[in-house]
Amino acid sequence: MSSNHLINRRTCLKGIGVALALPFFESLGWAEPAKKKAAKPPVRLGFMYMPHGVIMEQFWPASPESFLTSPPPALESLRTVLGECLLMKGISGVPISPFNGAPHALELSTWLTARLPDADRRSQIAIAISADQIAANYVGHLTSLPSLELATMPQTHKENQEGLNEGYYSHCSYRSASQAVPAETNPRSVLNRLFGRTDQAGQRSRPGQSTQTGALDRKMLDLVIGGAKDLRRTLPQGDQHKLDEYLDSVRSVERRIAAIEFRQKEAALEKAGVSVTKRYASDSPAIEIKIPLGDKRSDYMQVMCDLNVLAFQTDTTRVSTYIGSTPNGVSYPELGFKDTHHSQTHHASDAEKVRKVAAITAFNIEQFAYMIKKMQSIREGEGTLLDNSIMMWGSGLEDGNKHARENLPFIVAGRGGGTINTGRFLTDVRGNQGDLLTTLLGCAGVPLDRPIGIATKQITEMTHRV
Amino acid sequence: MAVLLPGFALALAQPGPAQPASEGDAVALHAEAKKIFGAQVTPFLKSYCIKCHGSRPKGGINFQATLKDPGSPAFRGWWKQGLANVKAHDMPPDDAENQPTPEERQMFLDWIGQIKFLSPQDPGQFVIRRLTKVEYGNTLHDLFGVDPAITRELPDEVFGQGYLNTLSPLQSEQYLEIANAVVDRVLAPDGAPPTAVQVRLFGGPLAPGTYARAAARAVGRSLTRSAYRRPPSEAELDVLVGVFDLGREHQLGHAAALGLMLKAILVSPQFLYITPSGEVPAGSTIVPLDDYQLASRLSYLLWATMPDAELAALADSGKLHEPAILKEQVRRLLHAPRSRALFDGFGAQWLGLGELETKTFDTDKFPLMTADMRSAMYDEARLFFESIVRENRSAVTFVDSDYTFLNGTLAQLYGLEKTVTGPAMRKVTLTDANRGGILGMPGILATTSFPNRTSAVKRGVWVLEQVLGEHVPPAPPNVPALQKEDDAQVGTLTLRQRTELHRTDPTCANCHKILDPIGFGLENFDAIGRWRDAEEAGGAIDATGELPGGKRFSSPKELKAIIAARQPDLARNLTEKLLAYALCRPLEGYDEIVVDRLMESIAKDDYRMQTLITEIVTSYPFTQRRVQ
Repeated sequence: MSSNHLINRRTCLKGIGVALALPFFESLGWAEPAKKKAAKPPVRLGFMYMPHGVIMEQFWPASPESFLTSPPPALESLRTVLGECLLMKGISGVPISPFNGAPHALELSTWLTARLPDADRRSQIAIAISADQIAANYVGHLTSLPSLELATMPQTHKENQEGLNEGYYSHCSYRSASQAVPAETNPRSVLNRLFGRTDQAGQRSRPGQSTQTGALDRKMLDLVIGGAKDLRRTLPQGDQHKLDEYLDSVRSVERRIAAIEFRQKEAALEKAGVSVTKRYASDSPAIEIKIPLGDKRSDYMQVMCDLNVLAFQTDTTRVSTYIGSTPNGVSYPELGFKDTHHSQTHHASDAEKVRKVAAITAFNIEQFAYMIKKMQSIREGEGTLLDNSIMMWGSGLEDGNKHARENLPFIVAGRGGGTINTGRFLTDVRGNQGDLLTTLLGCAGVPLDRPIGIATKQITEMTHRV
Repeated sequence: MAVLLPGFALALAQPGPAQPASEGDAVALHAEAKKIFGAQVTPFLKSYCIKCHGSRPKGGINFQATLKDPGSPAFRGWWKQGLANVKAHDMPPDDAENQPTPEERQMFLDWIGQIKFLSPQDPGQFVIRRLTKVEYGNTLHDLFGVDPAITRELPDEVFGQGYLNTLSPLQSEQYLEIANAVVDRVLAPDGAPPTAVQVRLFGGPLAPGTYARAAARAVGRSLTRSAYRRPPSEAELDVLVGVFDLGREHQLGHAAALGLMLKAILVSPQFLYITPSGEVPAGSTIVPLDDYQLASRLSYLLWATMPDAELAALADSGKLHEPAILKEQVRRLLHAPRSRALFDGFGAQWLGLGELETKTFDTDKFPLMTADMRSAMYDEARLFFESIVRENRSAVTFVDSDYTFLNGTLAQLYGLEKTVTGPAMRKVTLTDANRGGILGMPGILATTSFPNRTSAVKRGVWVLEQVLGEHVPPAPPNVPALQKEDDAQVGTLTLRQRTELHRTDPTCANCHKILDPIGFGLENFDAIGRWRDAEEAGGAIDATGELPGGKRFSSPKELKAIIAARQPDLARNLTEKLLAYALCRPLEGYDEIVVDRLMESIAKDDYRMQTLITEIVTSYPFTQRRVQ
């Protein structure tokens, strides 16, 4: 697949390059059941991905001491917020044998699952629920969207290395072992989904805007779910499983409508001077969402980052993934590179290719830095939105040249509501991707039934000693 | 590097022993393969393989596990690797104590060709399928006359074999929103006269003396017959009437309550998925698709939309599954303009043209690569594909033909801009035998190139995989791609000479000696498919090469002739790819036997496309489903 997918999207965005001010919100706060005591701001969890690994010498800081003052080239854009970041060397990826010929199909799909697909059912999606979805299962019912999935390129890459389903190439989020979660690539749709559509009069309406329609839709869906259950009973087992996916997704729509209703009721009460739940209102100005007209990748990625921040700021969701770029086939015309990212990563130390890979990495981290800085600028409670978040940037390969996975590059930004001890570079964390995810979810307050993927422990060095 | 060879070696291996002509033969062949496995293969594995590939499996390959049920699809990959490595004498490794005799080695290789006979007759995994984004949009269009673009916010999807048949909350939300939008368009606003669609779907205003619920039930019955693509059960109608009641309880008028019912239909699994009509008898394992399901499967395959009235009527009368009728319907559907869906869904994917619209090209170097050019390239391939299908030509025509479709824009790449002008695509007879057929088609030559130059390797892989159906393993990691042209060391070499560097490295040579020559044979076409006699650097193009088996060529024309002569391979590849697309799953196990049989009938009719498609539609896995 190719490089510049923005063309398609542009065609449908034509003529709406206007700046859309942040739509009006009933309340900028988060919903917690009223009986819970004065809520601490919730921890938001965000993941952003870049494929193909990095140039190691330009990514890892020279030493823990120099980390903050003279960061490596790749992290330059994060310089002012490094105090909010944690770098850890020594996190290994999932060993990919017996899929040795499929490094790129697995870099993204193992990234948040920390395990391999089922080799006997490789042509289907058969992997595991991903860390973001585990979190969404726990906190998703508290917000109008359980989770937000974003991507820069459509997830239609066609390549099936080792007979693996094509979906593994371009999906990081799995709702269950068999359900890949598609991501949104159109900023306009994301905006609509988060905050409703603009009608001709310029008014925003959201699904189930009038409480009455929302309630009616919810009751209608109840009946449809009942019918689907009847149908399910008549079907063979494999088909029943499909119906389970259907039921799960429709129930989540119902919950979404319910969450919106809840907020609307609260807003109405608030308007009447009755405060139901105690909240920390955000006093930061609203983010302005500008949907770019041109083809500039950075503009496009930044609007996706803005939307992500906005979704967190308004507590529309607490969990997000953003596939900043997809493995294979993507190129970077904005940087003046005509070759694909992938072909450059097999650089064999060729200086020119190394330079390009380093520039592509820096470019991706810049977009992440943009998002982090924005989050830092938003006041929330006693601190900032970033203080109450865990934002992880990373790649599923250490080094695209050799497909190494021993030292995956990760940047964790945000203090996770005071759980993560940032501003440090840990040089020798002996852990794996599963350990990292397990620890992060722990920091976000998500209880786990079992370790994630290949995890064997928590990485305690990351956290504050309690 | 032994491990990287398997697919190749398998692909180049000859098909196994004679194909079974009948069930009786199949039983005999099954028994024979099983006997040999017990008597000869098991001892072979035990002596030479299981020491390493046993319970602590090296390379993830465990032959101990295969002993019980060697025909299981789970082991297919291991047998393929085993075949390749044993054939190449890479296994057992040179330092192993025991080495098989040449006869033993041959016995093992022969037996692997017979594994397929161990697969029990099986239509393969069948799971109810969600409509793709495209199918869903077309179906809404057919039902309500709405623009299929109403679905544009749904995530894009891969069709066919790699189809992700899953559903996420995001999609469900969008289905609900789209359903709202549809209902808004169908229903006239309060007080306004009903829209035409509304009258068609809901009937006129409620006649005096009629009962609202009975009327709603009747509307539900007719709506679901088309929207569910099968008659509803009474229980399903109860649910819908329940939704109607709900609307009335919320003070909706009659039409608005029917609108709510319509919305419920549009978010129901019976609409979003192709579901069977009725339950299968308890205890059955394999059952035929009911006629409604078959009508949907056929219609979505060839038209990417719901069955039309004729198909629906045939399903109602229970006749659609009769082979003569089914065949006639295939012919009818293929001749209709809507069968372009088969190209948009399957053809474009097969030929790799899906990415043409968005692929990056170095526009400084190739200013001709405009949006118009891209779309003309796509249309050329589409019209060519459609002509072969509608005119019922041989599948070999894809490689070897004397015509194509051009407009003024595209004619520039053919050097025919003087004779072909204007924006309209038209059929053009070609006199240059280097052109004509997919190997010399600009869209394909462009998508198998880098943004700024050709790639003999990519083209070679494309021809092997997409045209001949062979499997090319990925390059091993840590192999440098070709250096840049200005690199001092290799700067004086032509692209061909540099590509040939692959073959000086034994790691690369095994595959590249097969891949590269095919690509070299197409080097006369530049990265956007124009003819050239010299490279950019000035060196003359050398399009000579030799394929395994000693077939030599010196121009695209000759390469084309060699490939066109491999009729059975071309046709089989197309059959396999289309069958996998039709079934929305990769082929495995018993499918191989199915394809063997299809190929017999298809070959008898000179590989004609309509025959090929008809054989697929009437095939065992297309018409049957496994329910356990």
